[in-house]
Amino acid sequence: SPNSPLSCSPSPMRGPLLAAAGGAMGGAGGPLARTIRAKLTAALQPTHLEVRDDSSRHGGPPGAETHFGVLVVSGRFAGLPLLQRHRLVHEALRAELAGPLHALQVIARTPQQWQSDPRAPPAPPCLGGSKRERHRG
Amino acid sequence: FMKGSPAQPLCGFSNAVVQILRLHGVEDYRAHDVLQDPDLRQGIKNYSNWPTIPQVYLNGEFVGGCDILLQMHQNGDLVEELKKLGIRSALLDAEKDQEKK
Repeated sequence: SPNSPLSCSPSPMRGPLLAAAGGAMGGAGGPLARTIRAKLTAALQPTHLEVRDDSSRHGGPPGAETHFGVLVVSGRFAGLPLLQRHRLVHEALRAELAGPLHALQVIARTPQQWQSDPRAPPAPPCLGGSKRERHRG
Repeated sequence: FMKGSPAQPLCGFSNAVVQILRLHGVEDYRAHDVLQDPDLRQGIKNYSNWPTIPQVYLNGEFVGGCDILLQMHQNGDLVEELKKLGIRSALLDAEKDQEKK
């Protein structure tokens, strides 16, 4: 299943963040993806960065560039609680979030954290519709 | 603040929050469906200075979105935060059952 966190992907990246996306992209390559990558690089000087276009998993066509997931490994996060780390990421992407970027998943780790655990949880499955919702009331 | 309701979430990220809370036995909380009210949808983003939905508030304090809640769940912080609010996570009881086996 494309939502399986264990799906094998030929992606060169270590984290399953991209594997969970079905392996179709070895890092998203559209214009918004490039902007996101550039802005996060400039703002946070990451030692490791993954940018994933999840739009196709939320009902959009592949490459729609509306829903993204980013994994940012940066020393800038040291000593900061999760909320502050995410705010730093949001700040870097303020214009995009006010515009075309509809949803943004964020994993923010320090280099030490990433080294000791180079894994990221998969994105939650889209609920647009029905599918395998077990707890539906 | 979510899309849809706990009984029927309309977004995977909102559903993830509902499911995580449910794992901890937390089901008695106020849920606000931002899809019902565009002013609420924008207003809550302005209030928390946070660009996306869902938004989790514990005791009136903004905690974060789905990603943060998931990480808090995984690293045990959520159990601690619930404890501070006088809520005993159901997972603690589940662990006890495990230990008995």
